[in-house]
Amino acid sequence: MIRTFTRIFLPLVLCSALSAQLKDSPVSPDSPLAPQPTLYDSVVKIEVATQVPDYRTPWNSGRFSGGTGTGFIIGPNQILTNAHVVSDNRRLLVTRRGSSRKHVARVRHIAHDCDLALIELQDFKPFEGLPYLDIGGMPTLESRVSAIGYPVGGERLSVTQGVVSRIDFSSYSHSRADSHLVIQIDAAINPGNSGGPVVQDGKVVGVAFQGNTQADNVGYIIPTPVVKRFLRDISDGNYDHYMDLGISPFPLFNPAMRQAYQLPADGKGVLVANVVPGGPADGILERGDVLLSIDGNAIDSAGNIRIAGEFVDMNEIVERKFAGDKVALTLIRKGKTLDKELTLKAFPYSRIYSIQYEEVPRYSFFAGLVFQPLNLNLFASFKFNDRRLRQIFADYVSRGLFKKMEDVVVLTRVENDRLTTRMGGFTGMVVSKVNGKEIKNLRQLHEILNAPNPPEYHAIEFNGGNRPLVVPNSEVPAAQKRIMAQVGITKAAQLD
Amino acid sequence: MKKLSFALLFLQPLMATPEDSLVRINSTIQTYSASQPWEKTPPRSRRGLGTLLPGNRILTTAAMAADSIYIELQSADSTKTIPAKVTAIDYEANLALLAPDAELGFLTELKPTVIAPPAKPDDEIELFQLETNGDPLSTTGKIRSMELLSTFVSGRYFLGYVVKASMQTSGNSFTLPAFQKQKLIGILTSYDSKDQICDVISVDIISAFLKDAENGNYEGFPSLGIAITTTEDPHFRGWLKLPENKGGLYVTRVLPKGSAAKAGMRKGDVILSVSGFAIDRRGYFEHPDYGKLFWPHLVRGGPVMGSKIPIEVLRNGKEKTIEATLQKSPSPLVPGYLYDEAPPFLIKGGLVFQELSRPYLEAFGKDWATRGPLNLLDVLSSPEDYEKGRRRVVVLTRVVATEATIGYDRLASQIIKSVNGKPIKGLPELAKSLETIPKNGIHTIETDKEPYQIFLDQSLSDRVDQDFVTRGLPSLKRLYKAE
Repeated sequence: MIRTFTRIFLPLVLCSALSAQLKDSPVSPDSPLAPQPTLYDSVVKIEVATQVPDYRTPWNSGRFSGGTGTGFIIGPNQILTNAHVVSDNRRLLVTRRGSSRKHVARVRHIAHDCDLALIELQDFKPFEGLPYLDIGGMPTLESRVSAIGYPVGGERLSVTQGVVSRIDFSSYSHSRADSHLVIQIDAAINPGNSGGPVVQDGKVVGVAFQGNTQADNVGYIIPTPVVKRFLRDISDGNYDHYMDLGISPFPLFNPAMRQAYQLPADGKGVLVANVVPGGPADGILERGDVLLSIDGNAIDSAGNIRIAGEFVDMNEIVERKFAGDKVALTLIRKGKTLDKELTLKAFPYSRIYSIQYEEVPRYSFFAGLVFQPLNLNLFASFKFNDRRLRQIFADYVSRGLFKKMEDVVVLTRVENDRLTTRMGGFTGMVVSKVNGKEIKNLRQLHEILNAPNPPEYHAIEFNGGNRPLVVPNSEVPAAQKRIMAQVGITKAAQLD
Repeated sequence: MKKLSFALLFLQPLMATPEDSLVRINSTIQTYSASQPWEKTPPRSRRGLGTLLPGNRILTTAAMAADSIYIELQSADSTKTIPAKVTAIDYEANLALLAPDAELGFLTELKPTVIAPPAKPDDEIELFQLETNGDPLSTTGKIRSMELLSTFVSGRYFLGYVVKASMQTSGNSFTLPAFQKQKLIGILTSYDSKDQICDVISVDIISAFLKDAENGNYEGFPSLGIAITTTEDPHFRGWLKLPENKGGLYVTRVLPKGSAAKAGMRKGDVILSVSGFAIDRRGYFEHPDYGKLFWPHLVRGGPVMGSKIPIEVLRNGKEKTIEATLQKSPSPLVPGYLYDEAPPFLIKGGLVFQELSRPYLEAFGKDWATRGPLNLLDVLSSPEDYEKGRRRVVVLTRVVATEATIGYDRLASQIIKSVNGKPIKGLPELAKSLETIPKNGIHTIETDKEPYQIFLDQSLSDRVDQDFVTRGLPSLKRLYKAE
């Protein structure tokens, strides 16, 4: 499902021919402002140079690349664009319509879970006087909208028109883990359009962000409720992410199940099948509770509610809230009706399932053995097949495994050397113990392996492994130096 | 010289030639559907050769007889047939004994062969095939090495010959007898036409199988009931304090109730020798006649059930000798194969329960080992974590849409922990628990995954079950073996 969406960020390769052409023509300095700047003038081109870390060789600098996208001015020195346009950036350059001058910019706020970012210019002066685009409401089905941006196929601003064809809850491919409200339009949205405004009656009704590889002439835009939520979330200077109740609902359709929970056959109430340990509902909700209402909205047996006449998942209530907000719940527990209130909070452990950006991959290198904490980036790079690892990854949040292991430390590589020649069979497995101590995080593993009074042999045990991996301590110092030099590693560990 | 030829002339009429003992075997194989265990999959047929032994016994491979619903013996020229039955079968050693089901038919025209004495490396053997017209076609091959081969059930190794021979690929499947000096020396199970190498089950294993089957009550080959790993890694050896002049196999798992467990073997022991033969770091020992052989031969290749073998182990750096009384391997939590066994199942109100087995997991397709249900794969790879209180692992494998299963349609691969408060040891126990009438009329089924508790209306599910029977489901349950 997620795979069918493609972010419409224009990679550098595509635009190199165009930039070469630019060089040929004489570069004029600032072109004079049009007498009456229009909405189009507030749509800018963003050129990005990126550095994407390689989780297979975490000690390396990563891949240098880049591309272009679109952004638009929404306030004083506030340019809105997609998170995927500016992720992992080393340099951001903004170009105004009808000008060649490149202005240095930087990211102020970035929200990977809803693919939005706010960037600012080092110097906003040249952009002063341009209109700020207004964020409007939801367009109606079948109404016409215009997508504005700098897509592939030319150098100048492009405008395409389309019709709103669907309003739905769908995947946001940037994080590979999130789903929010999405508007589907039939305008041709192409690479480079990313981050551009989609307007109707002079107001922004969405931000162009992804296409669909399985369909032609389909574009997806981020609707304004999501944009407004992002802008409100960052208004305190921090982005706190989307909130989640931290429960697994299970539909209460079965008459016997309803009877067991002492419920009438009225089609109301959804079962709490699991409560994420440590999540916002932990200690407030229990497995086996039946949720009847959320913030006064009656919940049906499939977990849906009705807001303003629309039939939506009860999570929509939480989608619109922020860290620290409260949620009122009515529930039935063992036949008794209870009113409960929970406070939403950020839950960082669930990010193991999202692609991480702007992060330096952590690792510890010990005598040819490479240890890395598990996350989706690592999973995408190594394609792990070990059953235990896959089980731990699946249960990490729902069974609260993070309590015992903040990091799931994986032996990802064994570099070839005379010391490691018989150690290959352990790659892709989760470390359970080192020298008899249970491993909770990467730093602890690193500290145990590099402790001042090392044992004669380091014994590394693996989850589901049939024997420990043994490293003779006497050979470690020489091997560490030798292998680091061979492989080209300058730093033995990156723990933060 | 003269004396010798006289002796040969004298012997020849007494000694049956190999072709006189050859029988064609046609078997019809049918297995049960993994997802709908009350049904069978379409039948397939398998063809191979058997050898007539004295007493109207026909020796062939287990591959020819396993899961067979009908076996037919046919004369070499394919003109006469008689039905046959299986009298003894060993899936792990890949051997089976057949007998005529009623009349002897054409068997009376054949001459039984006898079993050859053990072969030696570099011996020449003759591999027999039958042409369509019934003429024998023999190919001479040379035993290149004696090795432990796994020819049918994966992971079970028995002494065999790796034979170099250039064979004609005939229509028969590769179950072909091998002879040496007119006596049966082995059964060929596979042939690689590219490398011209074939695997042959050794006469040593055939003799042990026949001896065991003699009294009509086949027991099988003994097993230690352990899992091991090699000790080639010098650092691992250092950590184990294994001296450089020793070999050793590291014990990674000891099956509860197995021969090794009863003898006091522990996980972490290092096996240094078995029955006085030193085991090297890769698990091989030096056989006086056959050369280097993989260690399981010391358990399966000679000693009979009940015999005692000394095993020298290194435990915490100290050498120790334990004595294991050999027995058959205990029934595992997750059966590795289910040949000729109808998989047990139980349907209640549309919920389908099955006992977890390796064939069930294998039915998830080519990538089953990585892409099958993770919780079930974990049971297979770490049974020790699930053994407590269980004989078998009962799984809710699928849900058939019925009135009683509304809302449960997408549930699958749920491991059953208890029913109405009673822990579930196996499918018969589940059946018993579901027969009792719960106090509120609702069965409570506890599982390992969301929603953790499934409720089933007792009277409604009983009615649904009756519906299933009238709608043509042959049976609602099969516990233990099929009748």
